[in-house]
Parts: sequence; C-alpha cells; structure tokens
Amino acid sequence: MTDGEAIILDAVVAPGHDGAAELLVTLRHPNGGVETVALDGETGFHLMKSCGVSSAAELPGQPWRRILEGL
Amino acid sequence: MYDVVIRGGLVVDGSGEAGVLADVAIAGGKIAEIGQGLAAGRREIDAAGRVVAPGFIDPHTHFDVQLLWDGAAKPALEHGVTSIVPGNCSLSLAPLKAADRKAVVGMFQQIEEMPPEAFTIAFDWTWEDFAGYRDAIAKTLSVNVAPLVGHSVIRLFVMGPAAQERTAQPGEVAAMQDLLRECLDAGAVGLSTSFVDVDETGRPVPSRYADSAELDALCAVLGEFGRMLQVVPEFYATDITIARIDQLAELSLRHKIPTTFSPLFDSRGNADNAPRAIARVEEQFARGARVWPQMQTRPIDLSFSLLRPSLFFARLPRWVRVLRQPLAERIAALGDPETSARMIEDAGPDGGLAMFGSLVLRGGDAAPAELTGQTLAQIAEARGQGCARTLIDLSLEHGLDVAFLAASLGHEDTDRIGPMLAHPLVHIGASDGGAHLASFATYGDTGYLFSEFVRKGHLSLEAAVKKITSDTAEIWGLQNRGRLAPGWAADVVVFGADALARGDERPVFDMPGGGMRYTRDARGVDTVLVNGEVAYADGAYTDARSGVICT
Repeated sequence: MTDGEAIILDAVVAPGHDGAAELLVTLRHPNGGVETVALDGETGFHLMKSCGVSSAAELPGQPWRRILEGL
Repeated sequence: MYDVVIRGGLVVDGSGEAGVLADVAIAGGKIAEIGQGLAAGRREIDAAGRVVAPGFIDPHTHFDVQLLWDGAAKPALEHGVTSIVPGNCSLSLAPLKAADRKAVVGMFQQIEEMPPEAFTIAFDWTWEDFAGYRDAIAKTLSVNVAPLVGHSVIRLFVMGPAAQERTAQPGEVAAMQDLLRECLDAGAVGLSTSFVDVDETGRPVPSRYADSAELDALCAVLGEFGRMLQVVPEFYATDITIARIDQLAELSLRHKIPTTFSPLFDSRGNADNAPRAIARVEEQFARGARVWPQMQTRPIDLSFSLLRPSLFFARLPRWVRVLRQPLAERIAALGDPETSARMIEDAGPDGGLAMFGSLVLRGGDAAPAELTGQTLAQIAEARGQGCARTLIDLSLEHGLDVAFLAASLGHEDTDRIGPMLAHPLVHIGASDGGAHLASFATYGDTGYLFSEFVRKGHLSLEAAVKKITSDTAEIWGLQNRGRLAPGWAADVVVFGADALARGDERPVFDMPGGGMRYTRDARGVDTVLVNGEVAYADGAYTDARSGVICT
C-alpha cells in the first residue's frame, strides 16, 4: 500500500441489473471522497484474485489499484 | 349505436383526477363519449366493480425481433400494456444493411438472449431502411409501437466495421444525421444510445465509439423533430451517472429535446445512488432541462447455477475456490466427499438452511420440471438432506445445469422505492420487456406497481394510472394516447383494483425453435382494447390486429 491511493472500504454482494450477482465496492480516495462502484462477476472475481483473497469480507483495506493487476 | 360501450366501471382517465363511475363509448377506434346512461354499443362490456383506464405504455422494451412474429408482444398486452417503445439501448433492427445483419444479430442476442432460430426461421429479412422494418411489423400488430432508432445501427450503416473502431469523420457524422432524419420521418420517436453495452464478443457496441460532437450533431436532428434521446449511462457508478445527467441536460437545453436514461435502481449496498441521481435531475429540471430517470417497479432477483462462478458465493471462501476452477475440475471437486464436506461446513451449522433454504428452483434447465418453483429447503427436506448438500448434489446430478433464484435481493425496499416512483420527475419504466429472456421475466411490472405500491398506500390508484399512461405519453410526445377523453385513441384496460398483479415467474418454450424464456402471466386484467378493438378478454388473446405505429 502506498500513500495517496484509493482504498477499499467495503465490498458487498448485490444483484445486478441483469440478475447476476455483482460486487458493490466502496472506495475511499486520498482526498477523502467516498464512492461505490459495481463490479460484474468476472471483474469481481478478478479483484478478489488480485488481492489474494477468497471472500469479499477480506477485501476492505486492500488498495484499489490491485484491480489493474493482470489486465 | 357505438362500436363498443364499457359500462358502469370506475373510470380513471389518466389525468390523475379522482375516478368516476361512468360508461365509456367507443366509435371508429376513438373514445366517443364518457358519461352515465350512454346509448348501446354493438359490443357491451360490463365493467361493474372494475377500473376502466387508459392502456398502459411501456417506454423501455426490446421487442424489436419478437414483433416480427408476435404482434401482441406477449405477454405485454395481457398485462394491460397497449403501447410499447422498442429500439432502446442503441439497438434497433433498422436501418440495417444485409451485410451487417450478422453483427447486429450478435448484439441482440447478447442483450435479449434470443435463440439463433429467432433470426433464421421466424421471419424473412425484407428491409434495410427504417420504413421497411416499420412496414414489416405493422401488418400484424395488436399493440401500438412507438419505435426508437438505435445509434449503434445508424453508425454501422454509415461506417461499416469502422463503427466499432474509431470516432467518425465529419462527412460520416453528416451522413448519420441524414439517416436519422430519414428514420424520424419514417416514424421513429427518437434515438437510443448506450455508454455501457457490449456485443456478443465483449466489444463495446458502436455507439460507444462516438465522441461528444457526434452525439451533439445527432441531437441537433432530434431537435428538428422535438424527439427523445434515450441513454444507458454507466449505472454501475453514481458519479459517472450524475455526469451523464449533466451531459443530457446540456443536450436537452441546447436542442430543446426530452432525454431519458435507464436503469436507475435502489440498492442497500449503494443507498445514496438513486437519491443522488434524482436530486441532480431536480436541479437540471429547475434549469429547464428535461432528463427523465426511468425506474422499474419490480425488485431485482439474483440467479445463478454452478455452471459459472457467481459472486453469490463471494462470502464463502471454500465455495469460491472450488467454483472458480475450470468446469471439469469444478465437477470433480464438488464430487469429492472431503471437499464438499468442507464447503458445507462453510455454509453454517444449520447445513445451509439460513443461507440457501429460500433459494427457488427456476426451471427451464436440466433439473426435473416438477421441482420448478420449489424452495431448496422443501427439496432438501424431501431428500432428507441439508440445503447445502442438496444444492451440490442436485447440481451434480444434472451436469450443474440447475438454476437457482434468490428473489428480491435488490431494489426491494418498498418504503424507499414507493416515494421515488411517486416523485413527479421519476419516469416509471425500464421494464426491459423482451430482453434477458433466459435470465428473468421482464413482464408484469405494471401489475406489480398496483399490488405492491398502490395497495400498500404509496400511490393512489389515480396517480399510478397517470404515471404509466398520460405521463408517459406526454414525456414521449405520443399524440392522443394515455387519456380517456373524447377524440383520444381508444386504448383501454379494464381491471380489478384489488386483483391487478403479476403472476409467478415460470419458464416457457415459446420462442422460435422451441427456445426458452421466463415469463409471468397477468392477474386481474379482464379486457384490453387497442384502438377500439378488443385484443384480450377473458384470459385469451383475440384475432384483433388493431395496433399501429404511433408517434
């Protein structure tokens, strides 16, 4: 983790517009801004894998930049 | 003598005013008179104890393909929907060159989940231009159709494969403007575009390659006709959605056009999303812009099978590790007693009853049909197993092709959503009728509006009718529809105020080639008239083909 980067605050599962499960990831940006982004199944699993976790509950505290890894 | 008289019902005319007991007389496809003790009609419909309202209008559908063999857009009509808007989300079936059909079919299959046979055996491609498509569907319509033209197909028509590669040159933009103008002249009620959708290979649809200048140029043409721009914004991120609301507001103000975006839904995981978007819409309306958010009435269900990894299991590490494996390894792991025992342990001391017990077997898959509609808890009890064990074993017994439904997991809080639906700037829509065929039923949202929101006190009967009739017609500029008044089109639905609802979701195999889709029957709808002719009555469709292309 580095200073000045977005951190995952929370991650919960929710149904998406298409009826598939999505991961709602809440981020805190370095300027204090908080936003929530919905990830589809493939992207959500990719994030979990990049973070080395097997549960959404383990995502809080992880750096958001990990979503870029392996893309 | 009138053609039809609907006698003695509570007439809720779509204006929002209190309903009155009256007769409704129809002649020549139009409302002739509303009052008490009207003269006889050649056909008399007894509406005593029933509500008589304008036919409902569904502003967000994907019935473009289905209309080529089913002019009733079943089951939309039996739910009281007498007018539909297809061509949303940047996709329509015209204008479309023969050489580009394959590409557009792929996009439609991605969105609609329509079986391939729908495009090969159900109809003949007889058109390339918008007027040709309009004429192809107009012959057998039972519902009225107000078609949008899709930005992606306009782009494809002008640019060919480059439509999915780059921005347009000035000459190409001018050609798109001319083509849009031709479509609007031929009866299109607006343009749809998408910032989100992908084709069947995962590539962005053509509209996503347009720059803002191209969209602005097309909106200038919409401005010549005063027509609608429909948009799918990046609804997965609130801040981007709000930026799109601002962009739509500028387009609306600059070109004096209405705009609408969908979907907008509520979620416990992102509780600020819908309220923030609606607040921004209020600000933009205050400036004079027209940016209508479309919100669906129905809750969002979640469905999955073990054929593909689903984030439904994201809270269960052992399940995630197994389900992320390739199919063969996944099946082997699920069949391994030690591995499955650990997974079941993950599901809780009750064997997964709390976590999985309320899941419903959806049907339409490899599971025995008699299990359709049963909960996993019921099936587990009958098998003498725990719920997690049943989920695993039942899936293994049928090649993992067993679909489970977790009902009402999103957009489900009636006390939050009711006030939003009642908001004067929220457009009730986004049903997606005719899309997502193999994933869930997109029908019956109008019935759900009454069963869940009217009967629980969030909207009055009159307000709910207004929302999905005259409000919709006014937003879209549909002339002489959405009201029961002399001289207006006689699109009418007769229903029971305490009975109108949607039926349970069920699989049917009525797509071309025997393809499956999920559907819902209507509850409480007695009679539906389209342009003065009875199109649905006593639980059955008639032979009436009185639907028109309406603008």
